[in-house]
Amino acid sequence: MLIKVPSVVNLGLETIKVDVEVNLANRGLPGFEIVGLPDKAVDESRERVRAAISSSGVDFPSKKITVNLAPADIQKEGSLYDLPIAVGILSSVLQFSIPEKSLFLGELSFDGFLRHTKGALLMALFAKEFGFLNIFVPKDSANEAGAIKGIKVFPVENLIQLAGYFLKRKNIEPIVYRKNLNEISMPAEFDMREVLGQEQAKRAMEIAAAGGHNIIMVGSPGSGKTMLARALPGILPPLNETESLEVTKIYSVAGNIQPGGSLITTRQFRAPHHTASLVGIIGGGTRPHPGEVSLAHRGVLFLDEFNEFPHNVMEAMRQPLEDGYLTISRSKKRVMYPADFMLVASANPCPCGYFNHPKKNCTCTQQQIKKYQKRISGPILDRIDLHIAISPVDTTEFSDNQKNSELLESSKIIKQRVIFAKIRQEKRFEKDLIQSNAQMKNIHIKNYCKLTKDIEELLHRASIKFQLSARSYMKTIKVARTIADLEGVEEINISHMAEALQYKPKTYESA
Amino acid sequence: MLKLVSMVQIITIEDKNYPKLLKEIGNDAPKKLYYKGDWDMGIFENCLAVVGSRHLTSYGKKITEQLVTEIAAAGITIVSGFMYGGDEAAHSATVRIGGKTIAVMPCGIDLVHPEYQEKLYNEILEKKGLIISELEGKFQPALWTYPRRNRIVAGLSKAILVVEAGLNSGSLITAKYAKKYGRKIFAVPGQITSDVSKGTIKLIKEGAEVVTEPGDILKYYNFSLAKLNLTKPSSTLNKEEQKIIEQLKREPMEADTIARALSVSVIKIGATLSLMQLKGFINQESGKYYVN
Repeated sequence: MLIKVPSVVNLGLETIKVDVEVNLANRGLPGFEIVGLPDKAVDESRERVRAAISSSGVDFPSKKITVNLAPADIQKEGSLYDLPIAVGILSSVLQFSIPEKSLFLGELSFDGFLRHTKGALLMALFAKEFGFLNIFVPKDSANEAGAIKGIKVFPVENLIQLAGYFLKRKNIEPIVYRKNLNEISMPAEFDMREVLGQEQAKRAMEIAAAGGHNIIMVGSPGSGKTMLARALPGILPPLNETESLEVTKIYSVAGNIQPGGSLITTRQFRAPHHTASLVGIIGGGTRPHPGEVSLAHRGVLFLDEFNEFPHNVMEAMRQPLEDGYLTISRSKKRVMYPADFMLVASANPCPCGYFNHPKKNCTCTQQQIKKYQKRISGPILDRIDLHIAISPVDTTEFSDNQKNSELLESSKIIKQRVIFAKIRQEKRFEKDLIQSNAQMKNIHIKNYCKLTKDIEELLHRASIKFQLSARSYMKTIKVARTIADLEGVEEINISHMAEALQYKPKTYESA
Repeated sequence: MLKLVSMVQIITIEDKNYPKLLKEIGNDAPKKLYYKGDWDMGIFENCLAVVGSRHLTSYGKKITEQLVTEIAAAGITIVSGFMYGGDEAAHSATVRIGGKTIAVMPCGIDLVHPEYQEKLYNEILEKKGLIISELEGKFQPALWTYPRRNRIVAGLSKAILVVEAGLNSGSLITAKYAKKYGRKIFAVPGQITSDVSKGTIKLIKEGAEVVTEPGDILKYYNFSLAKLNLTKPSSTLNKEEQKIIEQLKREPMEADTIARALSVSVIKIGATLSLMQLKGFINQESGKYYVN
């Protein structure tokens, strides 16, 4: 007797249909075998399925059972085929038919209950695109899949319940998607008002958040770089619908969605340590897995102590910084992950950290300083829009008003301005494929950043005086565009451009 | 042409062209000197040693440039030790104005130390300056060669100018030699809280002459100020720009500090600063702005 249970396989973010074919033969010795390029986790599913069926009070058939995962030439991995295999066997034993146009996914536990399984959202998207009507997923994974309208998502608790449903003895209600409130609020560690002084750096953060610009902060230890970065999530605009789906897809594939989790609506803040491996940051591995750059998609990738990161990691970030995605090629697979993130980097000016410090003496030789600063390669620096030098703040020089954090602008107020600027950008780029000013290509700059003669001349003079590269020249225009957006003005004027020049690449050495 | 001047030559203490001032220091005088460049006796007539901290502040750098530019333009030879920081600032200010300068190396004559200042090294020779060392070949610089080098710097010069120096710095060693050889010592006053001003303040307390303008030193050499045509920006400043200049004249500041002092938003200040920088009124270095 042959039963077909449809499921899927995820290759990167691409989904392909897989038919789980279960054959129960009366002839031959009793046994249980899986074919069709299963990996270790799929192969082990035999033991889980056997135990789960027995625990559900059904005698495991003593027949020769062969499972084929078709198409047979694509590597299948993970535990998601437990449910389709078990459903196939049960339908033969209990004599129920599997509803048409349905997909199954889920990992079984020995007691017959289903566990949270990664990739449910992708299956739901696939189902909708290819005309499937129902999907059966573990209860904990149902909410994320439920975000996709137009298909029925059945939250399955255990095998008994599911069998009951197919035998029409029990009912399972399709899930009604609800936002998970716990996940929405990912509070920033600090409020911007807790950062005393550093007005220009805060302003740069605001511009970066509004336009999605990359930013680098250079300054001595204790000057507040990390604090500023940690306060950044508090002023980031929320994700829009398309962005939210893009981000949740990556997290679903990576298995980073909590049980019962919903769509991610906040921009993610990823802060990998500088000892993280190349694969950990970029993604890859024998089973390609999204790295930190992809998990930071549409969000922030914060790299503290940027020049401590290995050279190969930094250079590998050039493609995602430029294109907003990266391709991981292995001998047998090629997957593409989106990685359009906002880079926030912080670095010390020299090995001891106190170069140009007003109080402390730097103990480094000039050669050490040069060598240290050269660790960040030119091409990477060239891809960063905002460059900020951060000096330590002496609060004793502040007046009481300046010291009183209650009087300073809170993240909430800054966030409102950022959202305002973000909406302007979304409206502007409605017909283009981009979302923010930082993503503008030359053609967009030509269309949306009309410069008057005066401003063009100013920029030209600046590019000679400050030796701006052609890329920096364009970046300055993009930053000026964001500054104008924050002000709610369509025309870029002289003071927007002049302010943008404040954040140009700097040379930190004295030579 | 550069090939010729970059040839190493030797002069001994018995030679009649050996600098007289250096000979006067008696037992300290090197028996043999290796040199590159054109050995013209005129270069030794009026020498001023300019020394300063390796970690020159932007203040120190600015003062070195201002003083050295005018002094070198008046025709005085600037002697220094080719180290980065103060020495480098003195040498490069001199070559920029086309003046003559002598670099006394702490290493063998065939080495350029620090290596990355090779461009400056060649410029010194191009402008008819001298590279001198008492060490031969590729002798590596060592901890003890720096203070030994300093005695030659002091010995060649009629007077020495210390711009910024820490308490245990090589600049103070040079000053000590200068005192021993009876040379005049000039020192630039700085903030008493700054570590790199502690050495100069110590010198002033011990009787060094305070320098506030190039004339102070030129007077000692009986030289007069050369008519330098240092172009000042001619366009006029508006009120806000004037206020910023006033602040910056006191000390270099970051944009944040200026904004706080003037109670103006940093957004506005930032834009104004960029424009002023483009017009050439002010300049920026390591985050701080200063008046040109």
